[in-house]
Amino acid sequence: MKTAVVSMTKQGPDAPGGGRGGSILRRTRPSRTGRTSIVDRVALTVAAVMVLTAFIGPLLAPHDPYAVDLGQALRGPSGAHWFGTDANGRDVFSRVLYGARVSLLATVVVIAVATLIGTLIGTLAALGGRIVDEILMRICDIGLSLPAIILALGLAAALGPGLQSAVIALCLTWWPGYARLVRTLVRDVRDAEYVEAARTLGVSTPRLVFRHVLPNSLDTLYVQTTLDVSAVMLVISGLSFVGVGAQVPSAEWGAMIAGAAGNLTNGWWAVVFPGLAIMLTAVSFNLVGDWLRVRNDPTLRGRQS
Amino acid sequence: MKPLLEVRDLRAGFPGPDGPVEILRGVNLDIAAGEKVALVGESGSGKSVTARAVLRLDRDADLGGRVTLDGTDLLTLPERAMRDIRGARIGLVFQDPLASLNPVMTIGWQIMQPLVIRGVRKKEARRRGIDLLERLGVRDAGRRFDDYPHQFSGGMRQRVVIAIAVIAEPALLIADEPTTALDVRVQAQVLTLLRELADERSMSVLLITHDLGIVAGFADRVVVMRHGAPVEEGQVDAIYAEPKHPYTRGLLASVPRIDDDPSRRLTTVDDALDADVPVAGALEGGSR
Repeated sequence: MKTAVVSMTKQGPDAPGGGRGGSILRRTRPSRTGRTSIVDRVALTVAAVMVLTAFIGPLLAPHDPYAVDLGQALRGPSGAHWFGTDANGRDVFSRVLYGARVSLLATVVVIAVATLIGTLIGTLAALGGRIVDEILMRICDIGLSLPAIILALGLAAALGPGLQSAVIALCLTWWPGYARLVRTLVRDVRDAEYVEAARTLGVSTPRLVFRHVLPNSLDTLYVQTTLDVSAVMLVISGLSFVGVGAQVPSAEWGAMIAGAAGNLTNGWWAVVFPGLAIMLTAVSFNLVGDWLRVRNDPTLRGRQS
Repeated sequence: MKPLLEVRDLRAGFPGPDGPVEILRGVNLDIAAGEKVALVGESGSGKSVTARAVLRLDRDADLGGRVTLDGTDLLTLPERAMRDIRGARIGLVFQDPLASLNPVMTIGWQIMQPLVIRGVRKKEARRRGIDLLERLGVRDAGRRFDDYPHQFSGGMRQRVVIAIAVIAEPALLIADEPTTALDVRVQAQVLTLLRELADERSMSVLLITHDLGIVAGFADRVVVMRHGAPVEEGQVDAIYAEPKHPYTRGLLASVPRIDDDPSRRLTTVDDALDADVPVAGALEGGSR
């Protein structure tokens, strides 16, 4: 029973719950408390650094991210080039800094547009009655049945390949998931007694929706959007990698990996550093999403004291 | 004197799997200004549907008859005007105080809401909310005003719910089993508070309950409902002393008493009905 002993000694407000074979105490403890743990702090810091980099990264970059210097091609990490140089002698560190803006901005645009459309459509479907619901959900089905990558390929053919096509394609394919989610969340809340109670006070329908129904249903959506930051970023990078997103010279993390993949054996740094940037951003945003969920739930927040 | 609320031959049908189901079969009910009326009956007798029909809360209900409040016919009122009635003229207290409070808003926000949506300034609404909470016996009301519902105990939550229902000073308060979710001691406190509040503001109260034990000390008049229609009504003392309808007798006989022989089986309403020869005539009402 060594594991049991170990888990007992790990008892604490931050002990992760729900683990297999832990003590009953540990298993019945909620998996998250309102506390901000060290992991949360690290994740918040990393996410903040990434966002900050997106804003001021280009000011910090020691080199021009597009300056080709073939004499310096494929140099390993050094004092002059912290992350080394790629096959064209461009400074990888500078390109990663510039890439934060491109990758994060594209991701934020996709998430914002998709959330907005999704919330609107989902709420309408949940509250608009059966016919409206049927029509909107069938449109969602169409959206969901189109793989982002195919649509992006089609758009790339029509608009020309580029980050713009990738972003438009993702916006078009990402919102139906949110619409579905919001519809379910709103349907759960719309018949709640407190919504009914608010109605008996003479609260108007728009106020009911915006102050009573949506605040109680959207907490799951927040988490989903922050979790999706990583997913969207990966898809954008993926689209760039296969060549329909950002094009190769552009300092976008996915495109950088695509451009350097051929030199993986003799220039690993040109692949690994943008990859690390993607990974760190994805993981930190996932954790921030979870942290936000707990913070937004007043019943969990109450455990702080 | 014309009553504050006048319900005449109120009928309510709901869509069912085999066509509409008639839930209310002609309810007549008068409540005078400042009067406290108890609506009593077993589960499913249509007590709550009556209350909800008065406020027109069920959109799928097919309502017939007439409901007038101070001369205004509520059943033909446009939805917009109905909104001004809800909360401001008629307040409603629900059974489960936790479920009827919005979990992500502070109780202060919710207490102020009926005033804020009617254009009262935030500061003024806050002052009135805190005063009312204090009057309802919430200690340290000013500090607790910005707490969330889950931070309150059951009895305190019900006080918050009552505060929300009466802050806009409605003429009539409908309390739909307001004490069912509370323990006996808190029940008594809440009912006493409700009565005092009603007397202070000369507010009419329609108390919906299946608990005859709480009616005697609270209401002036009792209306007994069964199968969607009233079967008997009268002053509290008269009903308790001399119930006329066998159903009322059954209800009263089925209240368990602490000095009963514990080995005896509890009396049901049906026992009493079986033992009685049904009284024919007008008192029979909608009973079947």
